[in-house]
Amino acid sequence: MRKKLPKFSLHFFCLLVYIFLAAPIVVVLLSSLTTTDYIVFPPKGITFKWYAELVNHPEFMQSFTLSIIVAFGTSIIATIIGTMASIAVVRYEFKGKSVITQLVGSPLLIPSVVFGVALLQFYSWIGIAASPIALVIGHIILTIPFVMRLVVASLVGFDRSIEQAAMNLGAGSLRVFFQITLPIIKSGVIAGAIFAFITSFDDLTVALFIVSTDVVTLPVRIYTYMQYQYDPIITSISSIMILLTVVLMVVIERVLGVGKVFASKN
Amino acid sequence: MSYLCLENVVKTFNKTEVVKKMNLEIEKGELVSFLGPSGCGKTTTLNMIAGFLEVDGGKIVVDGKPVHLLPPNKREMGMVFQNYALFPHMTVFDNVAYGLKLRKVSKAEINQRVLEALEMVRLSGYEKRYPKELSGGQQQRVSLARALVIKPKVLLLDEPLSNLDAKLRQEMREEIVGIQKKVGITTIFVTHDQEEALAISDRVAVMYEGRIEQVDTPAAIYNHPQTDFVSRFIGEVNHIQAEVMESNDDQPCKVSFDGYQQVLSHHVPKGVLSEFYLRPEKIQINLENNQGLKVLVERKMFLGSKTRYIFLNNNQYLFADISNTVFNPDQIKEGQEVLAVWNPEDLLPVKK
Amino acid sequence: MQADMEIKQEQELLYEQKKKKSTRKKLDSWLLLLPTLAIFIFFFVLPLFFLFITSFKTFDASSGIGNDWTLQNYVKFLTDTFYLGVLWRTVKIGLITTLAAIAISYPVAYQMTIAKGRTKNYLTLLVLSPLLISMVIRCYGWVILLGNNGVINNALVKLGLIDQPLTLLYTEFSVVIGMVHVLFPYMVLSIMGSLERIDPSVIRASQNLGASPIRTFFSVVLPLTLPGIFAGSVMVFSLAVSSFVTPAILGGPQVKLMSFLTYEQVTTMLNWPYGSAIGFLLIFIATITIIVYSKLLAKSEKGVAIQ
Repeated sequence: MRKKLPKFSLHFFCLLVYIFLAAPIVVVLLSSLTTTDYIVFPPKGITFKWYAELVNHPEFMQSFTLSIIVAFGTSIIATIIGTMASIAVVRYEFKGKSVITQLVGSPLLIPSVVFGVALLQFYSWIGIAASPIALVIGHIILTIPFVMRLVVASLVGFDRSIEQAAMNLGAGSLRVFFQITLPIIKSGVIAGAIFAFITSFDDLTVALFIVSTDVVTLPVRIYTYMQYQYDPIITSISSIMILLTVVLMVVIERVLGVGKVFASKN
Repeated sequence: MSYLCLENVVKTFNKTEVVKKMNLEIEKGELVSFLGPSGCGKTTTLNMIAGFLEVDGGKIVVDGKPVHLLPPNKREMGMVFQNYALFPHMTVFDNVAYGLKLRKVSKAEINQRVLEALEMVRLSGYEKRYPKELSGGQQQRVSLARALVIKPKVLLLDEPLSNLDAKLRQEMREEIVGIQKKVGITTIFVTHDQEEALAISDRVAVMYEGRIEQVDTPAAIYNHPQTDFVSRFIGEVNHIQAEVMESNDDQPCKVSFDGYQQVLSHHVPKGVLSEFYLRPEKIQINLENNQGLKVLVERKMFLGSKTRYIFLNNNQYLFADISNTVFNPDQIKEGQEVLAVWNPEDLLPVKK
Repeated sequence: MQADMEIKQEQELLYEQKKKKSTRKKLDSWLLLLPTLAIFIFFFVLPLFFLFITSFKTFDASSGIGNDWTLQNYVKFLTDTFYLGVLWRTVKIGLITTLAAIAISYPVAYQMTIAKGRTKNYLTLLVLSPLLISMVIRCYGWVILLGNNGVINNALVKLGLIDQPLTLLYTEFSVVIGMVHVLFPYMVLSIMGSLERIDPSVIRASQNLGASPIRTFFSVVLPLTLPGIFAGSVMVFSLAVSSFVTPAILGGPQVKLMSFLTYEQVTTMLNWPYGSAIGFLLIFIATITIIVYSKLLAKSEKGVAIQ
């Protein structure tokens, strides 16, 4: 009995922590079902009218589409160039390697708000207007460190004699990369792409400085909307975003297994 | 000209020559082992032949054509790697078929040749498995099938058995030799295990510090080592010294091992101490007369078919391995003094 | 003689080829790095460099950035008690967040370490999933929970514990809650890493020597996980002081932190030079934390090596 008590209190404490973790997310999901015109928790009644109401707010749907496009673009470009850079860093020896590795890792250390301001100033000086491309460039910088960490981790443990075997059987270096190397480091690359997508899709700080009145990403739209309004439409669009993330997570789990993704992250 | 020739091949890493002007000729269908301690340059040489390392000097010629400037994918050599290096994302079938697909062989022929290759390594029925579902020995066989199916000019084996356990290792090495002889392919086998090298090779190239010390048949390597390194490296040896008693030109000379006198057929300069190596299994115990080297039996160890005796003479240890069917170990006790004898022909002069 | 010549020529040919190959290798590595490097230099290094320059410019009401050079922006921040107060609040919230994160992460990391198989996978997913869900939404959830009419206040009033709703939102409290929620997974991962490295036989050895489980925890387990706690703290602290979304939504103008001040100066005051200076002071704090940490780490690793 005396032995059980510490274990029980450990699990009880952890349960409270998990409730704390889930609370704000559950609250957003449930409040989106309220019949009232204002946000209330627990919701009064159950209705999906706030989801239907989104149709009358094309600006949310526009922002949603924009965010998806930006996140896709960021994810694809950051994954391709980040994988290329990872290969250079892991496979080749050259001067200034450590400087370059630190440089591409530094967006993790620079507060995003400062990077956002810097980018805004630079864009206005050279005359780049708010556009999906302007956003994608900013997001590539934010996501490359994640992509490279994951891809480098999968390349470091790579047994190069497998590539030698393919070469020995007659494959040229491009073929070796696409038929042998890439399939084997696939999980790191996919995990990098997904992280890049989520980071870009969620970004508020940098986007806040780059957006204009007609180019507004979803997090910025939600942020500005909630400064002035308190109606449940915000919870319905948020719930859609949460569900999207959950779907992505299930994909990660199915394709790679959670343990694997986060194990390679360290 | 031989089928595979290395001519003055040199490899330098950071200004140290790890392979020094190496010359070697291998005949078609021959199995030659590269044997030596780690760091002797055997794997480096293999990688230069395969094309994974560039030569820093000299030539490699296969079938009359120089290949040392070709990239590895143009050399037509099959290689079996120490850790098998199977493609983890492909089935056994696809692993073996990979080289054929690159050669644009027709589908029907690929199918036939892959199945034949798998049958040869006794893995029929495993086509659909993935490498991680196979045991180490099975992976090794897939690796062998994958290398052989493309009908390479030369088969290169890089310590292929070192990751297997002892029993499997012996089985696999017999299987590899069997297949090699059946296919008749010119083969280079890199190993640090001398028993392995002596058991399977047509010839053994003993390497040390970037040089080939001796290339010869296994028996010649064992019985007639040409260099000091080979004598010490292959098998076990006792290092013994003799005093030269009598030596005239062109005459057999008399030597004495602490009073045990023998006549040698070859000439040794007089008046100096002469050194010899003597293998433990060449020593016998003499209980019949007073001929021999007086030794103290320090210990005896029963090893099944034979017994190892550790003798002591003037603070010098002498190891002897004597078959239990020839000499019953119970005849002598530890601490007893006996006479050790050997044939003078079995003495290997130490070459300085 | 002729053979010698031939050998010489051949050697030269070989040498040429080798040279070509090694330059090609160099070219390959630079080609692979080129896109990433180009983007980083143009859109990361240059903008930050220009912003750094801006922070030494005077303020000009019409164009934002004046023409003259000055140190005034930094001097102003470091001498004004209001701004120093914001700096202190930022550091304070960073520290409180870090301590709170340690307190709630340790048990969770411990539970995850002792869990096995599937349970472990699910717990990992549960703990890490907040990382993947939009920060804006999570903070918004806290707005709903902590508001004057929110669940917590309503419950407290109904229970008769309070008469008037407490001001929970837009306070340092709400900012800390939000930050702990956002940054907690980093701490768990870090502590878990060091817990998993502990050799179980060490714990058995301690118990075998007669130590109680609690004694074992404090004298063996906790010291061995200090590096993990330390690494996690550095990460959480530097992310907390530089975070923007959480203080912007849960603190607002009432609880101003450095990041919000930067944003406000640039977007509402249009005082670019001053905003930039605040931004670089923020970078300075975050960088100093990391540098001090890696120095200490290098030192302690040397210590371990000597032992």
